Amino acid sequence: MASVSVSHLILFIASMMIAASVAGVFTSSIGQLSGALSEQGLDVSSDVRTDIEVISDSGADGIYDSGNATITLYIKNTGTERLAADPGELDILVNGQFVTDYTVARADGSGAWQPGTVVRVEITQTLGGGDHRVQITVNGDEEVFEFRR
Amino acid sequence: MGFSVSGSAALIFVAAFIGFGMFYSAAANSTEMVNDAREDRADRQLERTNTAIQITTVNYDPNYLNVTVENTGTTELSVSDVDVLVDNNYQTGYRTAVEGNTTTDLWLPRETLAINTTVEPQPSGVKIVTGPGVAATEVV
Repeated sequence: MASVSVSHLILFIASMMIAASVAGVFTSSIGQLSGALSEQGLDVSSDVRTDIEVISDSGADGIYDSGNATITLYIKNTGTERLAADPGELDILVNGQFVTDYTVARADGSGAWQPGTVVRVEITQTLGGGDHRVQITVNGDEEVFEFRR
Repeated sequence: MGFSVSGSAALIFVAAFIGFGMFYSAAANSTEMVNDAREDRADRQLERTNTAIQITTVNYDPNYLNVTVENTGTTELSVSDVDVLVDNNYQTGYRTAVEGNTTTDLWLPRETLAINTTVEPQPSGVKIVTGPGVAATEVV
């Protein structure tokens, strides 16, 4: 009779251990999934809050400085997300070509690119005559600016 | 044998309960953040649609450019968020007055904003940009 109780006890302990390990794996997986979901929510809300506008006057001369081979654009933060006035914040395509040689600086002060403020982007690129197109992407928000040299 | 099954089931049930609690709070927080951001975007779009400005006069006195702009929309704009580009040069340190008031930051519907900036030589065009991004341009 005692042998039956002992074997029951062994089976009970074994089943509890297996259940505990399954429960541990289950909760840790759910924890990782929840963390990823929170991060994605933060990213999506940041993308939705980001809104920029190229305010340069395409009808005026002075967008392209042929002496220094520089395109100067003014970009306003019209969203509600605080952005960094840093080249890493923007992706720029000039006539479909990805460019890396550009500087970003606040046009109306210093510090971060707060909502309502403007940055000056100076892109070093040699352009020929004719129509040109610059595409700027910040946090998934794409703005296209077209001008004539 | 009966205790083994019910004990294990209880353990798995508790783990499922905890897991659901964690997942639900993360999902609810994410949804709330994204919904807040979307509401904010809808508000911005409404504000932009209701914003309109019109440049009424542009005068160039030697070294000074005087521009008056009327808020013809229905949104209250901020003077500090207004940007002035003269021949594509960003202006800083210009003087502003709303209906003669030089200290106010509010530019309300039907009010006229006067901008006085130092420019030399005579420019050919001016562009005024408001906070929501609505802009107006005029020749000098």
